[in-house]
Amino acid sequence: MSGFQGYVTSRPVQGFRVPQHVQNLVIRNYCETREMTFLLSGTEYAIPGSSLILNQMVDRLDQLDGIVLYSMFQLPEQAGSRRKIYDQFLGKQKTMHFAVESLSLNVCQDIERLEDIWSVFLTMRDIPNIQDQL
Amino acid sequence: MSQVFVNDAEIELGDRYQENGYVIVPVANLGEFQRIQNLVVDSVEVVLGAGETDPASLLNGIHEKVSVGELNSFRLEMIRRMNAESWFRSSYFDLARPTLERIVGNELAMQLRVNLSIQLPEDEGSLLPVHADVWSGDSPFETVVWVPLVDCFDTKAMYLLPPAADKELRNNFGQSVGGSSEELFQQIKNEVVWIEIKAGEVLVFNQNLPHGNRVNKTSETRWSMNCRFKGVFTPYGDKKLGEFFEPITLKAASRLGMAYQFPSLHSDPEE
Repeated sequence: MSGFQGYVTSRPVQGFRVPQHVQNLVIRNYCETREMTFLLSGTEYAIPGSSLILNQMVDRLDQLDGIVLYSMFQLPEQAGSRRKIYDQFLGKQKTMHFAVESLSLNVCQDIERLEDIWSVFLTMRDIPNIQDQL
Repeated sequence: MSQVFVNDAEIELGDRYQENGYVIVPVANLGEFQRIQNLVVDSVEVVLGAGETDPASLLNGIHEKVSVGELNSFRLEMIRRMNAESWFRSSYFDLARPTLERIVGNELAMQLRVNLSIQLPEDEGSLLPVHADVWSGDSPFETVVWVPLVDCFDTKAMYLLPPAADKELRNNFGQSVGGSSEELFQQIKNEVVWIEIKAGEVLVFNQNLPHGNRVNKTSETRWSMNCRFKGVFTPYGDKKLGEFFEPITLKAASRLGMAYQFPSLHSDPEE
C-alpha cells in the first residue's frame, strides 16, 4: 500500500474543537491539490495526551508514503517526543504534512522551522486571545 | 534630563506612522524587488504565453489578456507560483525590513503566504469593502506591508482612513455606521486618503484603520502584494501561529529563554 494516511483527533487544536469530518475535508483538499493519494485517516484516542494511534501509524510508516496531520499542533507537546517522531520520518525517508498550516517535514532543516513555531506557541499560549480584550 | 533610547530617524518614522497611519518608503533592496517583479512577469508569460518584455506594459495592460471571469483562477495561480519559490518570502521581507524593524520590532512573525491583488479597470468583482483587518479577527499588533508592482494612483490604488478620522468614527460608530459597509464608506468617503505610490516603493500601513478599494476607473490594471507582520511575542488574534504566522527573526536570547528549564530534582529518563 502506498499513499498518505490522514490523522485526526477529537481533542481541541489550539483551543478550538474542529469536527473530525471537517479535519478530513481539509486533509483531503491538501492531498488533492498536491496530487497525493489520500488514504483513510486514523483517529487519535480522546484520552488527554494520547499519541497512541499516531505512534502506531509511525510504526507502520514502511507501508506508507507519509502521514498528513490536520494540524502540527496534534503532535505531542513534549519536545523530546516530537523529535523522536521527526527522526523516524527522516530515517525512513518519509514525509509528514500538516494540512491546516500547509507545512511539511521533508528534510532535516524543516525541523527548525517547525520547532520555532512550537516554541513561540508554547511561550504565548497562556496569553488570552487579544480579541477578548478589545 | 529625559532619556532617549531611539534615534531621530526612528522617532520621525514612528511619528509619521502614528499620525498618518502609514509610511511610504523606497524598497530597501531594489535587486530583490526586481527579482520578485521578474518572477511575476515570467509567471504571466508561462501561464498566458505572453511575450512582452517591458514589465510595466505587460502588468498594466493585463486586462487585455485576462477577462474578469478568468481573473480569480489566474490570480490564484500567480499566488501559488510566487509562494512556491523558497526565496520569495525572505526577499519580500527584505523590501521593508529596516522600516519594520523601526515600526514593529526586530523579532518578527510573518504571514505564511504573501497575497496578490489584481484589479482590472471597471471590474466590480474584486472589490474589498471598507474594513479594518482587526474587525475580522486580526490582532491589533499587526501591520501590513503592501508592495505595488506597478505605479498606483487614484482609484487604481487603495484608500485608508487617517487616524484622527478613525478615532471620530469609532467614537460614534453606532450612530454613523448605517446598515451596510457601503453606507459606512459613504459616511467616510470624503475623509479617506487615496494612496499614491510607485513601483519600487513600499507602503507600510496600520491595518486597524478602515481601508479598501473601489472600482478601478483608470485605464490600467493594479498589481499589488500584501503581507502581515507583527512582533513575534505580541498577542495573537484569530490569525494563529502556524496556520497564518510563523516566527522569522527569533534572536538567540529568546531561543535560550524558550528552551530553558529549571534543573530537576528528580531524574527523568525522557529528557
